[in-house]
Amino acid sequence: MGNYTLIITEKPDAAQRIASALDTKEKAKKMEDNGVPYYIAKRDKEIVVVPAIGHLYTVAEERSGRNYYPVFSFRWVPRYAAERGAKQVRTWLETISKLANDADMFIDACDYDIEGSIIGYCILKYACGSKERVSKRMKYSTLTKDELEKSYAELLPHLNFALIEAGRTRHEIDWLYGVNLSRALTIAARDWSGKYATLSTGRVQGPTLKFLALREKSIRTYVPTPYWEVKAEIEINGKIFETEYEKEIIETRKEAETILKACKEKNGTVEKIDIKQFQQTPPLPFDLGALQSEAYGLFGYTPRRTSNIAQRLYLDALISYPRTSSQKLPPAIGYETILKNLSKTPQYKKLAAELLAKSELRPKEGKKEDPAHPAIYPTGSLPERVLDDSEKNIWDLVVRRFMAVFDEPAIRQSMKVYINVNGHHFYLRGRRTLKEGWLHFYEPYVRSEEVLLPPIEEGQVINIKRIILEDKFTKPPPRYNPGSLLKRMEEAEIGTKATRADIIQTLYDRKYVRDERMVVTDLGFDVLEVLEKYCPAVVSIKLTKELEERMDKIQVNNEKRENVLIDAVEILKPVVEELKKKEKIIGEQLSDAIKRARVEERTIGACPICNTGKLMILYSRKTSKRFIGCTNYFKGLCKTSFPLPQRGTVRPLGKNCRGCGWPTVLVRIKGRRPWTLCFNPQCPLKEERRKRIEMRNLQ
Amino acid sequence: MKCAICNRESGENNYCELHMKAHESIIKKYDLWKKAADISWKEYLSEVAKNPLTGEWAKEVAEHLIKNGERKNVTNG
Repeated sequence: MGNYTLIITEKPDAAQRIASALDTKEKAKKMEDNGVPYYIAKRDKEIVVVPAIGHLYTVAEERSGRNYYPVFSFRWVPRYAAERGAKQVRTWLETISKLANDADMFIDACDYDIEGSIIGYCILKYACGSKERVSKRMKYSTLTKDELEKSYAELLPHLNFALIEAGRTRHEIDWLYGVNLSRALTIAARDWSGKYATLSTGRVQGPTLKFLALREKSIRTYVPTPYWEVKAEIEINGKIFETEYEKEIIETRKEAETILKACKEKNGTVEKIDIKQFQQTPPLPFDLGALQSEAYGLFGYTPRRTSNIAQRLYLDALISYPRTSSQKLPPAIGYETILKNLSKTPQYKKLAAELLAKSELRPKEGKKEDPAHPAIYPTGSLPERVLDDSEKNIWDLVVRRFMAVFDEPAIRQSMKVYINVNGHHFYLRGRRTLKEGWLHFYEPYVRSEEVLLPPIEEGQVINIKRIILEDKFTKPPPRYNPGSLLKRMEEAEIGTKATRADIIQTLYDRKYVRDERMVVTDLGFDVLEVLEKYCPAVVSIKLTKELEERMDKIQVNNEKRENVLIDAVEILKPVVEELKKKEKIIGEQLSDAIKRARVEERTIGACPICNTGKLMILYSRKTSKRFIGCTNYFKGLCKTSFPLPQRGTVRPLGKNCRGCGWPTVLVRIKGRRPWTLCFNPQCPLKEERRKRIEMRNLQ
Repeated sequence: MKCAICNRESGENNYCELHMKAHESIIKKYDLWKKAADISWKEYLSEVAKNPLTGEWAKEVAEHLIKNGERKNVTNG
């Protein structure tokens, strides 16, 4: 081997796809060096395609050690030099360096976005011996053979240095903020309590926690207000319908009772019928955020899970590059070819044919653009392996959304019938679809219901079956879930499409939040309180957004990396100094919070036996085994205890058993599906289950 | 000084910042309840304390007020 072109990709799957696509016989040869795979493709000349495994380089401090701050000097180093558990990176880099020695041409084929650009740049600069200035760039949005061949034939003459500068700045600033603030918190707590616990915050993590804490405060301080609703059940042609009173909210009981009295045992008359037609326009093509929100709403997948699934589908060449913020589908992607290819599968045959019969294909598009990639779309390739259920769901969602954007708006009709009952008005509402339009393509995922009404005429007398008076209370604002929080971060323009899902996960990992409907823990509140009190700048949404905007400007050559870095450090320096000065008091507050969090983590709920103590997960001093015990045991008041599984993790679920009302725990054991455990031996559900099993055995 | 309900630092009125906010919310909403259901301060506190939609901190404050027999100091109830 010698005088070949070396292509660098971001992931092994991408390397294999690119090598196969570029090999004249579509059969690239797989090689291995120290367990690192690479591929040899024959074309006009020999091509070696070697993958990275994501980021191989990272930002690290110049001095060694983790026990100090502030840290303002840094450099880019191989990940194995900065992170535990990244040993594999060393052999990976050795292989890449070896392959770079005999290469006479270099091509960066990593994903065309900020992260991909830095991955490729670092490898070319540090592992290939400063080849970043001579390297060419492949730009593609799908891993299909056609697009890869085109991208190879039309190589960009150099790397996108503006994108690289923007990415480097983002990584460096995030590292500076993360390492200084997180160390300040962790060291303060450790030095006060003598115990280690990882606490972290960051440039985006702090403001995100603030969104959650603000919402949590409104929920926990919420006092509901009573109001009343009046409804009337009416009968038309033997069918019962529910109508709503003209005033949605009745503020006093007295008024509600007056209405009830006036309408009781009276008939109604149809006074007016309003019929309106309205259009429901097709949805926009998916960008990553919209796909994540939709997948959360439909399937309950967390943003990170959706992002991972989409990445797998992209590497299988089934969908285009998912980390995009574009809502545009340019004609160059080849609408017709995609639809023709999709029609090869029975699932989409009919739908694709309907779209292909149109005289013109024009997608509905949104305003958002992404200079690197279009919106997410199906490539038209069909799965070459069996997709798992979650992959099937996301692929189907992307395909159907792609189809839906090409169709006409749906036409729907709403009907409002005004019924007069003794001077009071009730509304009967109906809704139906007159023309399906795009709903036909997106049908499994459409969330609109049809309410069909029988024929009604003005002046018709209506039989009122009964008047219903309902006591209601206003509700607190809803909790964020990972999907809605991601949307909120997008709206506030903090973080990037590549980092938001991970930041949300970090909040869970640090135990600042728990549960799917995100509940801020005491620890989350305390960390935020410390930050707000001693360094409000780092949780300021405005400041974070301003920094984001400046980093975006670097990407289009409107701002210099150095200026943004210097300004970011200028903001950070006094903040860290203040934290250092107040280390003791911060340490005390955080240590207290950690202690409370550890207790909270083990507290299951009120003891159902003594009713005054609390049930906790405890450990036996003799056997070290865990069990559930009552806190009143230590006062000699209650001896309640229950055994627990000794393997895996057990955590309080915060919900009571539906059979006996006792608090429950969630047990997780590796390789098994997590299950809810009610530890009440007398629980009626257990008895039922026992009987069911006995019956089954008898049969 | 510690908060009358939790372990946090308290301000002038014996509540920490979080329970203080809940206390303010309880005071503020009483007029709406009085107008809606014509109930006394004591009845109001008991309704708030047992309502499942009441926030955790507001519930704790309501229970604390009931326990200590505190009267609303804005208007009599």
